[in-house]
Amino acid sequence: MATTFKTLTPADVVSTRNMLHEAIPLTGAIVSGTYAGENIKNFSHGIFQSVYDYPFLSSSANHIFDLSAGYTTVSGLSGAASIQNAKKLNFYNEMAQLLVGFDENNVIRRFDDDGDFVGTATKINEAYFVSFARLLTKDEIKKGSFSIDLGTTVSHATPFGGGSVDTGGIIRLTDKSGSSGYKVNSPAGEYGILYATGSDLGGAVVDGEGYAKAGLIYYQAGIAVLSASVFGSLLDANVAMDGAGQNIVQSLTASSITGACDNFRRRLYNLSFNNTTELNSTIYFCRVNHNEFNYSSNPTYISSSNIVVKTNPSDIPVTYITTVGLYSPDNELLAVAKLSEPLKKDPTTELALRVRLDY
Amino acid sequence: MGILDNSGDIIFDSVLTDTGRMRLAKGDGSFRIAKFALGDDEIDYGLYDKTNPSGSAYYDVTILQTPVLEAFTNNTSMLKSKLISINNNSLLRLPVIKLFTFEDSGAQMNSSGVFVVPVDQTTVNNLNILGPGVLNGYEPNSSVSHIRVDQGLDTNQISAQESLATDLVETQYIVEMDNRLGRIFPGPDAPVSTNTTVSTNSSIPQATPSFIDDDNIASYYFTLSNNNGYVANVGGTVDSSIQGPRGTKLAWRLGSSLGLRTSDYLFTQIGSLASSEFTNDPPGNNLSAGTWRFIDSTVRVTGVNTGYRVDIPIRFIKSV
Repeated sequence: MATTFKTLTPADVVSTRNMLHEAIPLTGAIVSGTYAGENIKNFSHGIFQSVYDYPFLSSSANHIFDLSAGYTTVSGLSGAASIQNAKKLNFYNEMAQLLVGFDENNVIRRFDDDGDFVGTATKINEAYFVSFARLLTKDEIKKGSFSIDLGTTVSHATPFGGGSVDTGGIIRLTDKSGSSGYKVNSPAGEYGILYATGSDLGGAVVDGEGYAKAGLIYYQAGIAVLSASVFGSLLDANVAMDGAGQNIVQSLTASSITGACDNFRRRLYNLSFNNTTELNSTIYFCRVNHNEFNYSSNPTYISSSNIVVKTNPSDIPVTYITTVGLYSPDNELLAVAKLSEPLKKDPTTELALRVRLDY
Repeated sequence: MGILDNSGDIIFDSVLTDTGRMRLAKGDGSFRIAKFALGDDEIDYGLYDKTNPSGSAYYDVTILQTPVLEAFTNNTSMLKSKLISINNNSLLRLPVIKLFTFEDSGAQMNSSGVFVVPVDQTTVNNLNILGPGVLNGYEPNSSVSHIRVDQGLDTNQISAQESLATDLVETQYIVEMDNRLGRIFPGPDAPVSTNTTVSTNSSIPQATPSFIDDDNIASYYFTLSNNNGYVANVGGTVDSSIQGPRGTKLAWRLGSSLGLRTSDYLFTQIGSLASSEFTNDPPGNNLSAGTWRFIDSTVRVTGVNTGYRVDIPIRFIKSV
């Protein structure tokens, strides 16, 4: 009996899971400078600002991250005199509620710079929040790959001072222990501690390798929480966050959230991480034996019912495969795979075509 | 669709079809891949050069350079021609499926080169008597007009009296058509009990689609083993479009859908107002230009075993 279908057996189907990683480099010039602010979307509510990789009115623009700042109620910055005080408190609490969770009394925990909730020390009471778009982070940020460079020269006009991490002017925050030392006590998934390094960390308590705790990175949530101290107490000297010479404390109290974010972006030198996509695949091994698929129903295959590729009965039939179709039991085409070039098939050959469907 | 890069290794470009995605989204277990087929839609075997003076290694040089398009996601656009598994490697001929349109057989086409289906009673009445190739879409079983395809070796080098090799006989057909437009009814050879009900109500023994896909394409399966008036052996001594050994034939009539009978919506959406007269062979009446609308469609017949496929043009018409 002639047939056009071949049944797949359980041995022909296998499921796999792979992690794909992409490098995501963001240069500071993109988020502050290149497009003269046209790629920054501010909202009337003023709670956060969105950063795009191109003027956001263009259909070519991609959302890359959102930026905000806030502090907790126990922070010395909290007070009626602070601009947008309630919104800064609310945003901090929203992030803390989602990322740190609640204690046994259902009180929102504060961000903790070493991930140890015991005690009240080592809390991050004032922070910048960088929430990356899913377009960039995909399923999660790859642990141990996150890095952000911040300008730390005092001058507002030259925030990087032409310097480097080694020579001063820039500090680098990385999740250096991320691949093996990440934390799992967050309701939002795994997170790592961001460590700052650089020659400007004169005010910081550094470990033996010269690193100081400076923030947290939530891998699955795609959110970086940066302690505001990266522009203040960790450094040799307070930096000028704006043209008027405001220090970080003044920037977070006397500026709106949008203003504080503008000041942050001006000091963002570079940012990079690898994202992760969890790829679940099913592989179908379409095994073509020597005596199968050697004839075609292509209308050009015959002329007056004569097979055009044969002259004598002893000539072997030959076909050329360009397409593999995967069918349901009721012969409905569910998936298609195309070969990049025709593949010759005749009774002297056997093939195993490996078709992978990703989910 | 773009053309796949064929400058390096052979790679696969795999996608789910729209129907595949629809079934996946249903989450009812209907997305289950159970079998595969191979296709060669892009290949023109006429380029196989058996007389190439450079030798047999050069016979298929042009074919192997054929550009291959990326996969379409439309399930009905792919694998139009499938590869066939037949154990016998010494075959010189393959069977085809061919439209049977002999005069006075009831299976003639209209002189316009299509099968015409008046969809409602008004249109049928306006035509008065339906000429050749005009199938009564309002009361499908009321006339002998039908569509028929024959299967076999279409060659004059072997007598039609010879029997077709068993493994080349098509025993099952898939008929695909737009479910918004019409339904399928048995051919005139149907058993009397199913052939005498002349009505448009639910008692008409119309065929039941095996499934209807996301694009409203209904697929019907008809097999030789069912005594349903659709598939039968042709025989070697009767009229047939097949010159050589014959396999089976498939015959059916077409009824219009409720949507076409009761509404002009589809005629205005995907149809046209006729700008010329419709010729209904005497003694029937013609329809003047501007007094009827039409929708052109096709009915596709595919042999399940042999994979051979033929598209039949259909025109649904309605008086305005």
